Amino acid sequence: MALINVAAREIHCKIVYYGPGMSGKTSNLQYIHSQVPKDTKGELLSIATETERTLFFDFLPLDLGKVRGFQTRFHLYTVPGQVLYERTRVAVLNGADGVVFVADSQRHKMRENIASLQELAENIKKQNKNFREFPMVLQYNKRDVPGALPVEKMDEFLNPAALKLNWQRYEAEATHGRGVFDTLKAISKLVISRL
Amino acid sequence: MDPQLTSQIVPVEEVRAIEECLAVLAENTGGNHILLLDKSGQVIAAHGDSTRQDVTALGALIAGTFASSREVAKLLREKDFRQLFTQGVRENIFIALIEDQWILCIIFNKGTHIGLVKVLTKKATDELALVLDRVREQQKARDDVLGSSFRTSMEDTIDLLFRD
Repeated sequence: MALINVAAREIHCKIVYYGPGMSGKTSNLQYIHSQVPKDTKGELLSIATETERTLFFDFLPLDLGKVRGFQTRFHLYTVPGQVLYERTRVAVLNGADGVVFVADSQRHKMRENIASLQELAENIKKQNKNFREFPMVLQYNKRDVPGALPVEKMDEFLNPAALKLNWQRYEAEATHGRGVFDTLKAISKLVISRL
Repeated sequence: MDPQLTSQIVPVEEVRAIEECLAVLAENTGGNHILLLDKSGQVIAAHGDSTRQDVTALGALIAGTFASSREVAKLLREKDFRQLFTQGVRENIFIALIEDQWILCIIFNKGTHIGLVKVLTKKATDELALVLDRVREQQKARDDVLGSSFRTSMEDTIDLLFRD
């Protein structure tokens, strides 16, 4: 849940990037870190293995400055995507105000996307939250890879019209930055609308 | 109401009560740095030399450690680990949970005995649990705190800052 400190006039919100291994969660944070103004960002903190795979989380604090007298901060986290780190993902997800689900557009990754999304739904429910109501945005990443699944096909699997989840979804190429800020804007506004 | 739709609003008078509690704990233990965190890693209050470390990153890491230990507890079929102690060469860290919502963290050096820290931290967590109860109970409307035009201004700021 968001934290509003009335004395210090501060608002803190936590946004978690979730998704299967190698889908581009860390790339999103790295791109954001490389582009936002210096006085807006803190250090990008990564707890990774020797092979640069996320072990615990990446953490990027963004300070949006004073809005109507309130110092507003977004804390962005990624989870480790690999299957064996399931419990670690539960830990990082703790207290999240919103989630970006980063899906991999490669055809052979769809099964992993679905499994990860199902796991996310379970983990949100375990926090006594209603998954259908939970602020969430989808990002279909790696649109530039040859043979990427068509967006409509990805919707069928991850955002089916029949379920009426109506998640906003964005196409992205996180390593080049395409779609990264559209996604961040969408989730930030969604989180703020629920404050 | 669905807990995800409620923000935790800490009013001025409760922030003062928290700061006083942290100051007393620091004085009685000789602790160098004391943090009160939300379980999501956000810093609610800090006491001590704020120039010496990145408090925001520290908050995220400590909350992550605690959340991780909770998952370890589940695997061991333990209810939870309510306290964690990390021993360093120069400094030690003692962390205690407050009602599954807040985390109290005290950083102290070799001059302070861990037993004293444990006893006094217990007293402080009891006091802070009462503050937490009051924060949970208060039903102040968010618009009273933020103002109705806050969201519009916030969206403008997001558009301005989050771009390539």
